[in-house]
Amino acid sequence: MSTATRLYPGHGPDERTSFEPYSAFDIPEDLRELHGRYDVEATARRIRNFRYTHEWMTMVMGGWIATIPEIPVKTGLGKIIWETAQAADVLGRRLPELRAGRNVATASQPPNDRYAALIQEIAAPDSPEQTIEKLAGIFDVLAPHLIEIYEQTMRATDQICDAPTIELLDEIVRRLRHHVAWSKDVLDRLADTDARRERRRARIEQVRGLLLESRGVTGELDGSPAHH
Amino acid sequence: MKSFVTHEELARDSRFVRQDNVLATMLSQLPDDAEAVVQCFEQLDPMVARAVSGTAAEPLYDEYGAAFMLIVLNEALDPEDPAIATRLLMRMHGIFIGELQALEGAGRSLWDFPDAPWEFKMNMARQCWDEARHVQIYEKLLERLGGSPGMFPETTFLFECACNDDPAMRVAGVNRGLEGLACDVFRDMIRYADKVGDEVMRQAVDYVLADELTHVRFGSEWVREFTKGDPERYERVQDFRRQVDKQFSFGGSRSERDDAAIPIARAERREAGFSDEEIDELATLSASGPSRETMREAARIIRERHSARRLAASQQMEPRA
Repeated sequence: MSTATRLYPGHGPDERTSFEPYSAFDIPEDLRELHGRYDVEATARRIRNFRYTHEWMTMVMGGWIATIPEIPVKTGLGKIIWETAQAADVLGRRLPELRAGRNVATASQPPNDRYAALIQEIAAPDSPEQTIEKLAGIFDVLAPHLIEIYEQTMRATDQICDAPTIELLDEIVRRLRHHVAWSKDVLDRLADTDARRERRRARIEQVRGLLLESRGVTGELDGSPAHH
Repeated sequence: MKSFVTHEELARDSRFVRQDNVLATMLSQLPDDAEAVVQCFEQLDPMVARAVSGTAAEPLYDEYGAAFMLIVLNEALDPEDPAIATRLLMRMHGIFIGELQALEGAGRSLWDFPDAPWEFKMNMARQCWDEARHVQIYEKLLERLGGSPGMFPETTFLFECACNDDPAMRVAGVNRGLEGLACDVFRDMIRYADKVGDEVMRQAVDYVLADELTHVRFGSEWVREFTKGDPERYERVQDFRRQVDKQFSFGGSRSERDDAAIPIARAERREAGFSDEEIDELATLSASGPSRETMREAARIIRERHSARRLAASQQMEPRA
């Protein structure tokens, strides 16, 4: 054996290097554990559900632009549509990494028929007089629900094995929060009379009721109302 | 929400009024004959009068009659023109409206074609954001010139012509016809901004032009994709694009003629994916129509007749001695 300090291990126990040993979680200290509520298949299914919602939100908001008379709402939705499509896209790109197929065109799946019907109800208002109903359905009910479920998913999934899902959901949630804040400013301005505030409230109640009936984006809500 | 909306259904706030799209269609069919142009505008005069009522175009109508539209469309932007401020406002307002309708067209493509490939939806979603920024940019540019949205009547013929119910024709109309026109107009605006040293306008429009090239590319790619393996459908789509290009040439105002107000931006179109054959074809089909001299002569006659009618009407109203 050479007397020089070893920089690379050899074949025998006396041929180790002298570098200090650390675990993969020592620097910086990382307390994550190998434990998660969802296995690979369950995560893939949830992502197909998430993607379904973002794909439809993209389409619905696109259709609405021509039917909305308020120009700042048209332009505001333009940016949100692009960010929502990007969310659907990154969700779709995660699926092959979860052994769930490579065809992103078929990567969207509603959790159940009632949820698919909910999305169609959210899309239903198409009169120029219904900007409040349009925005309230998506930004007062659906988007906050998505934020809640995505945050719950990020907490419950395996922090190490499923970190790519956490990373992409984290970015989607960040943008969803911006969208909800934008819509709050717009709706606070548009719903400026008691009658209009009542329209907003009634729409929230209607859509929230349907959301609970469908048991949410993953079809797994326990029935307790989502508070936002 | 229903699929497919008509141009009459585009939602607007209370600042906007509509102008009948028949004018744009007639303009694309006018011969190079001053009397025919005069007859056409005389026929449209009541409609034009109604559309401009209460808008910033009303004083122009009062002075020129319906001929003010000929002057606006047919003359290149010239900083020395005494009416340049109004003409620039009308051009800028027209672009603002075009961007608004392009935003609406891209958005409708997301809803109207739910079974389209995901990459198509991604392209349309991106276009929605771009067009939304363009609306904001042109509102700012309009305000810099002292204008505001809705100050002139809106023609929805861009949306009417381009928004076909077939996805291949939709992208041919919106992304190649409308956005191709945008390439020509924006190159012209950049030339004007250079001429007057307006760096803010030059830079903003230059960015918008870069976006438009991307949108034309989307159109070129999706026309190919949607018509793949179907040469008959491809030909129908090309015919539709030719028809849209003809209408968007405003009787030769956008063309390669020496007297064109808006020259065809060959370099930008080539970069955006138009073939030389397609550009040559556009140059040919846009070249027909009244010359600038014909338009000027028609405008002179229309203005004279308009003034005579005004005079006669005011004399009738005066109390008899």
